[in-house]
Amino acid sequence: MQGHSTGKRRSGFLSRFGTAFFDGDIWVKLSVLFWGLGYFRRGQWVKGVLATLFQLVFIYFLLAFALPNLSMVGTLGKTEYASVYNPDTMKNEVNDYDDSFLILLFSVISVTALIAIAVVLMNIIIESYKLEIDMAQGKHINSFREDVKELFDSKFRLTLMFLPTLGIIIFTIIPLIFMIAIAFTNYDQSHMPPTKLFTWVGFENFLSLFRTIAGDGSSQSSAFGYSFVRVLAWTLIWAFFATFTNYFGGIILSLAINNPRTRLKKLWRTLFIIAIAVPQFVTLLLMRNFFGNLSIVNTICSNIGLTGLLQRWGWITTDYIPFMTNAAWTRPMIILINFWIGVPYLMLIATGVLMNVPQDLYESARIDGANKAQSFFKITMPFVFNVTGPYLVTSFIANINNFNVIYLLTNDYFEAGNLTMAAAKATEVDLLITWLYRLTNDYYNYRMASVIGILVFIVCIFFTLLAFNYTLGKGKEETFR
Amino acid sequence: MADAFIENYASEANIVINIGAQSESQTKDTVLVDIAAAADVYYFADDQTRELVAAGALQPVQNADAVAAANAQGAVDAATVDGTLYAYPAMGGNGYFLYYNSNIISAEQAATWDGILKACNAAGVKATMEMTNAWYSYGFFAGAGYACALSDDGKTTTCDWNAEGGVNVLQAMLDIAANSAYINLTDGEFVSGAKEGTIAAGINGSWNAASIAEAFGDGYATAKLPTFTLNGEQVQMGSFDGYKFVGVNAMSENVGWAMRLAEWLTNEDNQVYLYEATNGAAVPANTNAAASEAVQANPVVAALAAQSQYATAQSLSVGGNYWTPANALGTIVVNGNPDGLELQAILDECVAGITALVE
Repeated sequence: MQGHSTGKRRSGFLSRFGTAFFDGDIWVKLSVLFWGLGYFRRGQWVKGVLATLFQLVFIYFLLAFALPNLSMVGTLGKTEYASVYNPDTMKNEVNDYDDSFLILLFSVISVTALIAIAVVLMNIIIESYKLEIDMAQGKHINSFREDVKELFDSKFRLTLMFLPTLGIIIFTIIPLIFMIAIAFTNYDQSHMPPTKLFTWVGFENFLSLFRTIAGDGSSQSSAFGYSFVRVLAWTLIWAFFATFTNYFGGIILSLAINNPRTRLKKLWRTLFIIAIAVPQFVTLLLMRNFFGNLSIVNTICSNIGLTGLLQRWGWITTDYIPFMTNAAWTRPMIILINFWIGVPYLMLIATGVLMNVPQDLYESARIDGANKAQSFFKITMPFVFNVTGPYLVTSFIANINNFNVIYLLTNDYFEAGNLTMAAAKATEVDLLITWLYRLTNDYYNYRMASVIGILVFIVCIFFTLLAFNYTLGKGKEETFR
Repeated sequence: MADAFIENYASEANIVINIGAQSESQTKDTVLVDIAAAADVYYFADDQTRELVAAGALQPVQNADAVAAANAQGAVDAATVDGTLYAYPAMGGNGYFLYYNSNIISAEQAATWDGILKACNAAGVKATMEMTNAWYSYGFFAGAGYACALSDDGKTTTCDWNAEGGVNVLQAMLDIAANSAYINLTDGEFVSGAKEGTIAAGINGSWNAASIAEAFGDGYATAKLPTFTLNGEQVQMGSFDGYKFVGVNAMSENVGWAMRLAEWLTNEDNQVYLYEATNGAAVPANTNAAASEAVQANPVVAALAAQSQYATAQSLSVGGNYWTPANALGTIVVNGNPDGLELQAILDECVAGITALVE
């Protein structure tokens, strides 16, 4: 007990609440029923009134909003939409229908709000108990004005954190819980609110993703599992190559430009930065047209005889090079095009980093008899790697979710050549994120999209932890200096 | 048209109409995101009818008999689900046919794939058809007598492409695709290729009529789809026929007025008006409007009419799972079966995807 009152050692919130509730006097205990009671007893009238008002709001919220929705969350609604046209009023008469989407959304909001309210209530009990002890020890009891003043003074951190916390709950946590919940429902094209209901199906969606052998003869579910493995593999291959080709390409480019023997440094740099200045989607759509079946690049290849050569080698059977229409060609092309649009960024970053490599290191290396290659691998690369390690990690994750490049280059042009993947609406060049987009945007398969979304999230977390652990872990930040 | 509607009913109600641009082929994507917030009246392509009805986004047409009588039977059938008319036919002719350059390909040659490819090879140009798009590639199997159909649930597709002899159709497609005069191009690429003079024939729809007429100049000609060689015989290609409809949102606040507007937009006068305003791209679905001499003289309408006896309404033939597997089949064909799969296995896998149950 003395630990809590002196505040020297802060124990867990729950145990503090437990102590307060069980050790507190009758007023503290009754505060659970009448939230303002503890404050009133110790003379904190304003706080008492506020707590009581808060309790009234809570009761209204509970009866009018939370309970009606939570009572239906088990089934997500029973009454389906129905309407009859009334020619006299020229309007449709609609029954009192349930909207599964809103029930689920409001339930998630209700649960979050109830948890928040419970935390506030527990705080009220803890405070009431503290007031009881303070009073017994004859300490000063804060007036309301003093309490408010504290919020801008010694407890200012609480005031500062209030809005961000609220924002995270409303804009991140609630949608996240909602999305996760969708993965356990049958919310798809045949179950679209408001006119249709959807309901819980448990782990069915996850099972159908991983059911690689169709025991029930439903090729649809096996197709999802088959496609998921392939899409995931390509996503990782893509992320690896997209990240590292850009990374090393940028470093080599900036080394070349920074080389004392390179002339017109500023011109080269500007030229590459112009590539950044053009909006990415313009570049990508143009690229797609450049490499189309009847495109300028194909005409050139055909004129210089490259197409004929490839045909003789048996690499292509078509009369053109299927840069953007055959998975075997499109995958490397996407990585190459991404290299082209991504390298200027890395060049800029690498230039900045390279300028900061301490020159005395090179000097002492030269005195010690190291050659250029040695100082590059022993000084430049470790330095660059150290500084840009976190960047590498984030860009790997960003590439896992690199929607723009893949989607803009292949949408409406590349068609799957793999029939099983096509059955799951995936293509060979789809990343998890573009597949997810297609499922939601074109096929309204929200349930499978949620499942894939959850798995993308897990994949990203896994690689983030792994990579940060490797680049930043074990005090590596310090090893270089 | 909307202003005229407001004027016409000004005495009965104060109507405000807000118009938003929307491609008919993607209406479903916009409407189904949030039906309650979607437009009261919207244009859409006929293949979306069933999905919109299933989602409860379409109000049944009140004076169905009058609307049905005024429009082409095919359009009315495509707008009808389980005996209820759900949309107002606005345009017909949403099908495809052959465009060719008569300076390079004779009318006789244009009747067969063999003739077209031979003429193109001789002239060093190419002929195109987007086989990677299942909408077009459907024509081969349909022409050879293999069928896709909607099953009773209105969503799942049945398909017998992998039945006996199906491999021969696939082989015929592979043969055409392997011809050096054939190239697989999207709509836009076809038009730009025609303008550059590298493409002399292509299968496409009425929406590109103006730009292709311009590209081919005095050689501009249209015809029904060509025949293709199957087991040594010439087989006429089938095709999809399509319509554009105006639908009324069933969750509209003023559904009655919305229905009047939809009817107004699709009446005879306005179908003629749209036909003229689009230089003939919007072929009327209204029988009176379509029968007029000006419409009948249009080469696009003539080609569509010649093809129509081999066409089936897309919305009555295939469901949502048809497209991606059939597109993939086309991709395999165009790429010359790169993995060397057995043809029957390709068809079996493709049909499994097409016929997968839509839950």
